[in-house]
Amino acid sequence: MRARRDPSDNWSKTPADRPRRRDIAISSGLGVLVLAVLLAAGTIDLAVFVGTSLALASLSLVYYLTALTTIEPEARPVERVTVQPADTAVAELMLERITVPILLIGPGGRIERANPAARAFLGLGGEGGLLSATLRQPRVLEAVSAALRGEKGRAVEYSTLAPIESHVRAFVEPIRLELPGPMPWRAMLVLADDTSSKRAERMRADFLANASHELRTPLASLSGFIETLRGPARDDEEARERFLSIMQVQTERMRRLIDDLLSLSRVEMNEHLPPSGAVDLCELARDVAGALGPVAASRSIGLSLDACEGEAIVHGDRDQLYEVVENLVENALKYSDDGGSVAISVRADLTRDAAEHSDERIAEGSGRLTLSAPPLSSEARYGVLRVRDCGQGIDRRYLPRLSERFFRVGGQKSSPTSGTGLGLAIVKHIVARHRGGFTVESAPGEGSVFSIFFPAVRKSATDGNEPVQRGATVS
Amino acid sequence: MNDLMKHTVKAFSDELEKLSADVSVMGGLAENAVASAMQAVINRDAELAEQVIEADAEIDKMQREIEKQIIRLLALRQPMASDLRSVIAALKIVADLERTGDLAKSIARRTRVLIKSDPLPLTPAVERMGLLVQGHLHQVLDAYATGETASAVGVWERDEDVDEHYNALFRDVIAQMMEDPSVVGPGAHLLFVAKNLERIGDHATNIAEVIHYVVTGNELKGERPRGPRPELPE
Repeated sequence: MRARRDPSDNWSKTPADRPRRRDIAISSGLGVLVLAVLLAAGTIDLAVFVGTSLALASLSLVYYLTALTTIEPEARPVERVTVQPADTAVAELMLERITVPILLIGPGGRIERANPAARAFLGLGGEGGLLSATLRQPRVLEAVSAALRGEKGRAVEYSTLAPIESHVRAFVEPIRLELPGPMPWRAMLVLADDTSSKRAERMRADFLANASHELRTPLASLSGFIETLRGPARDDEEARERFLSIMQVQTERMRRLIDDLLSLSRVEMNEHLPPSGAVDLCELARDVAGALGPVAASRSIGLSLDACEGEAIVHGDRDQLYEVVENLVENALKYSDDGGSVAISVRADLTRDAAEHSDERIAEGSGRLTLSAPPLSSEARYGVLRVRDCGQGIDRRYLPRLSERFFRVGGQKSSPTSGTGLGLAIVKHIVARHRGGFTVESAPGEGSVFSIFFPAVRKSATDGNEPVQRGATVS
Repeated sequence: MNDLMKHTVKAFSDELEKLSADVSVMGGLAENAVASAMQAVINRDAELAEQVIEADAEIDKMQREIEKQIIRLLALRQPMASDLRSVIAALKIVADLERTGDLAKSIARRTRVLIKSDPLPLTPAVERMGLLVQGHLHQVLDAYATGETASAVGVWERDEDVDEHYNALFRDVIAQMMEDPSVVGPGAHLLFVAKNLERIGDHATNIAEVIHYVVTGNELKGERPRGPRPELPE
């Protein structure tokens, strides 16, 4: 900004202030001339003329020196120019590199400058747009217009909960530029992402509430059995044995619950950090099918894998995606009758619409619902994995609650063999972290299809052929 | 959206740009109203609910201002083709946003009654539905600012999900009321909250249709996909 101020300094202000040797010489010369006229007219004599002339000369010299020294400090355009480029260049570079979004807003709410971090954060195109078109937060816009009127800066907080949760603190500061014209004020807008700390706060509260609520039931039954063992059943060998085995099952359940709660907390905590790495969904499906093959075989359930022969590489954390697929396949096995069948299929490079649900419904009037989905984008392509079972299916009224914590379809009681009710919640959070989607389609009596999809890793343009599908039965 | 437009009269471009920016600002106000109203219901925050009710006047005022701007624009500039479409679109969107604000106010009003009774176990379901609708509204307003029809159409197609949520919630609430008559009062209010959310979702799809019309000049073809209508549990 200072660079912009310099030119005006050079040609409007500085010349007027600088002491001119010629001006001083002319004015003292005029004085001497007047004295000479007076001398010629005989009004003063030679001694007085010489004395006053000398006095005038010394006065003008003194004046010139004083003027030079007092004005000098401001009249150093040359030196300032040599210092500044380095200064502004460094400042520019820092602004470019800093990961904090910083914007300068001009009159009328127009974005005058935005550093790359701000561009990425707000999804800005070219400069010069209006701030209100990209950032619709009323309180931020209000603070910005106050700053543009020269009022004191302030900090405001805003949150968006959907489609992606984010909490942001915005700092607005007025800056006065020395520009000609009626609007010297600019507003500096600094955005600080506060999502992780807000999330951590809420997570802690949720964890405590969940843990205390869900652990109470097994604890209550444990303490009941202990009381019985100490009292009426003290000498009953048979009852003691039975009670102890129930107690063991209950403690086992508590352990699983705590494991799942911890895993859920961990996943939730990192939900806003996109994962690094790439995973091949085909290979992942093969691994999971291999691992769970024995389980399926023991109940004579046919576990079939219809994975692409090529690969469906998506952005993701392998361990977490493994957990997701394992969870879905385990669920499918759990809700299948003995001798049923479970099918895993993988598709690469589908559009958002195709990824969400397959073209054919599993049954007329089946319920379909998206449980979690990334913001819409027409260019994105996804790798998709579907797990289909032929169990009893889920009534459509339960679909929206599937990913709710501790929700069990049809109010299944928390029997020792049933899950913790956290599995699909964990799946949903992992999927959300991967900016992927999670959908379900189900028809009572026909079974269900759970689909997960993740953003595909872009391949080079040469790769255009459709991956060959192949069916293989594991187990 | 205005990047492509070039006008000999620069003031006209500026006015059009300001118009769409003002519509965005009003969208922000409406979005904020919905978010705060839902937060008030979920956190049982009567104070926040009052703020939402008061802030609705702001949205109404903004609507009047934008309408004045539009009338001025129509009278002085007589816009043609895509300009005319964008001006008419602004008029329609503003009306939808105003209704959205009213619905948010109505949700906030329910808070007062809801906090008088114990929290209902179905509140998370309403929260989830609220998030879905807020996401739709947000994406539609983003699409308005950027002119990306694809995501507007995406939201339009996904209104079915909102209906699905509403239907499930409706049945669950009714089932609970039948089980326990003491939840009839708060349950009814919760149903109205859900109904209002469902309507906000409909307004978002209206806006999506308008955006599609502005950008392409064609109307979105076909019947909007509809989820199941709520029915009483047997």
